[in-house]
Amino acid sequence: MINAISGDTDFIKEFNNSKFTGFVHSTFNRTLNIKCFENGDLYTIACSNLDNGPNTLIIDVDNMKSINIVVDDRVHVENNLLYIGDRLTISIEKVNIWESILPSYTPNVEILKQNVMKVKEYINIHGVGGGIKKNFIPQNPFEAEVSNLLEKRTLLLFNELINDRISSAFSHAVSLVGLGPGLTPSGDDFLTGLFTIFNMKNSPFYPYRSFCEDVLKKARTLTNDISYMTLKKAANGKVRDSIISLLNSILVEDDQDLILSLNKLLNIGSSSGTDIAYGIVFGMEATIRAGGKVC
Amino acid sequence: MLVQALIKPNTYFDSVSLMSLSTKANQIEEVEQAIIAMGTEMNKEVMKNVGLLTPEVEVAGASDLIIVVKAATDELCETAFKKINELFTKKNSGKKGTNDIKYSTISSAAGSNPEANLAIIAVNGAYAAREAKKALENDLHVMMFSDNVSIEDEIELKRFAHEKGLFMMGPDCGTAIIGNTALCFANAVRKGNIGIVGASGTGSQEVSVRIHEFGFGISQLIGTGGRDLKEEVGGIMMLDGIQALEDDEETKVIVVISKPPAPSVEEKVLAKIKTCKKPVVVWFVGGNEEKIIAAGAHFAKMSKEAALKAVLLAGADESKLNKRALNIPLIEEVRTKLTSEQKYVRGLFSGGTLADEAMHAAMEKFDNVYSNIQRNPEYRLKDRYTSQEHTFIDFGDDEYTQGKPHPMIDPSTRLARFVQEAKDPSVGAIVMDFVIGYGAHEDPVGAFLPAIIEAKQQAEQEGRHLEIIGYVLGTELDPQNYQEQIDKLLAAGVTHASSMQNAGLLAREFVVKGE
Repeated sequence: MINAISGDTDFIKEFNNSKFTGFVHSTFNRTLNIKCFENGDLYTIACSNLDNGPNTLIIDVDNMKSINIVVDDRVHVENNLLYIGDRLTISIEKVNIWESILPSYTPNVEILKQNVMKVKEYINIHGVGGGIKKNFIPQNPFEAEVSNLLEKRTLLLFNELINDRISSAFSHAVSLVGLGPGLTPSGDDFLTGLFTIFNMKNSPFYPYRSFCEDVLKKARTLTNDISYMTLKKAANGKVRDSIISLLNSILVEDDQDLILSLNKLLNIGSSSGTDIAYGIVFGMEATIRAGGKVC
Repeated sequence: MLVQALIKPNTYFDSVSLMSLSTKANQIEEVEQAIIAMGTEMNKEVMKNVGLLTPEVEVAGASDLIIVVKAATDELCETAFKKINELFTKKNSGKKGTNDIKYSTISSAAGSNPEANLAIIAVNGAYAAREAKKALENDLHVMMFSDNVSIEDEIELKRFAHEKGLFMMGPDCGTAIIGNTALCFANAVRKGNIGIVGASGTGSQEVSVRIHEFGFGISQLIGTGGRDLKEEVGGIMMLDGIQALEDDEETKVIVVISKPPAPSVEEKVLAKIKTCKKPVVVWFVGGNEEKIIAAGAHFAKMSKEAALKAVLLAGADESKLNKRALNIPLIEEVRTKLTSEQKYVRGLFSGGTLADEAMHAAMEKFDNVYSNIQRNPEYRLKDRYTSQEHTFIDFGDDEYTQGKPHPMIDPSTRLARFVQEAKDPSVGAIVMDFVIGYGAHEDPVGAFLPAIIEAKQQAEQEGRHLEIIGYVLGTELDPQNYQEQIDKLLAAGVTHASSMQNAGLLAREFVVKGE
């Protein structure tokens, strides 16, 4: 039996109602996803070196592969223990409950402007290319075309958002869903960052956060299950801890903290962290430009 | 060319694995192009745009993994799929080379690799000192690529390293060759019996490459970081480096490279050299010959001279060396092509010491030599975007790299400046370095070719000759194709210089009037 170190409040709730059943949907080196029969959502079991996230339980192991769990293994909860086939039992007795809570948008726009600029400069240098960040020399025509489309579509989206044309922004946002070769396509990652800004209380976009839900409705068939689940949570303001840390750092004046949290985010996936970070910067820049006009 | 697709239903790989598989798939010999991507509608749209959509791809779902291969024949497509499938199988088998292991802390990396004895620190400058300290505490030598580290931290780290008998190379140390392994920006050179201690990255690269060209090799190349010979730091690593090479059995000759040190540090370094039992060649860019000779060292005014003296001391037969003398007839020919108005050199460099060397060559003949790295404030460029008379620019300097990668990786800033300089009717010669090797751009000449061709055509239409001198810093062993880089320059009508020393001398000689 393995102890869970920390877990998202929504996952813990499912634990406690003892009606959680499902199967292993996918496995990776450091995570596995469970598809829940009751609500159709995905839940993630992650290794100790990953950060907290929505629907995620962090357990005390370094690598998931050693447990030999395979896709389709049955999952159920009984007496506060999660059973994955007969290969793994997880206890939540010592779990620390984590909840995704976004900070409120700052009234100090000057600090925000400065930090957003610093973040942008940093990811321009240290971010991973091939997605929103164009590689100077694309590896192949596919990558070049993906980058071109991402650039064009995010620009169109930006123009609509800063000019208070939320309804026409919608189609440009939808055109980003599923764009990019990765498991979480660059377009999805970018939208995850953008949705986060929509869900920050007091953000100029906060009154329009149903925009995220509308995009999500279209996204169901446009991307894969795993990426869709991330978008679904982000549309409701639920994102992983590293994104929240970066947002907190962007709101205050502390360069060291800012770069530290940004580095953590940039380390996600191959280009995923970079694409999410660009989504955040994009959203922040749009709110700064839109300012009170949107509200 | 044929395009074929393979669909793997409901197959997921994490982004890092997918990227790695995709890169490897494109390296398969039979493959003209390979794409591995999730089958989303948007990705299918992109494949259609680039002519890679097949009927199988059209019906794939968002949760399916699609593999598309473009190859010359059916058979080659099949072979490529087979090899790609092998890559997937290897990935799934969980067998990994040590190169694939990622550690989140230096301590865990050191703990898992007890045989490791060196750490390269390349994190944000704000955290670099902390990480370097951890590495030194774990008895690891440090090569700190990071810059923006305070001089106080540098002194503390170097003193700590010195006390522990470890190297603390850097901060801002971009070049080293340790145990015949090139680290960060370095070239693939032969192993040999000449050791280098350098406070200058591209200067050390240049000397190592010239030694290689003369048929000799490098035992160790120890980088110290550019500030090591400043008053405050006191040359701690330069002194330790000389000592280490003196103690190293494989090293027969030592080359010391730096911009002019602070006077007190120069005194210490020369005192150290005076007691050294091995021959030492000193190349301090713009350095004082008398002091160096007085210390019993061999003085070199320029980079090729430093390499030449080193190989002669290491046992080379001078009569058998091709020293690549300057092409005097070419100088005469170019002078006749330039108008009286075309009297200035513009040097656009990605390497700092390369810029410095070319600038010093020009300063021997001209008074009006401006630069962003001029030590004389009177000749420091007033506006970094505007050249004055003879101008030499180090595009790797902080003021040009704010928010951008180093010009050895991203040529865009230098390229834009080249276009600007090429239009100036007072310019007689533009001299540029093209650095290849580990860490450098995969095709630096190729990135400049369209602009070079256009600039030369434009000048011709305006009735003037534009002389461009290109120098490729690299060897035939480097990952890029060295000869191909040179061939591209020559095909574009660029004068290829065989060394940085020759490039600097040619540039200045081309624009000399009335000799």
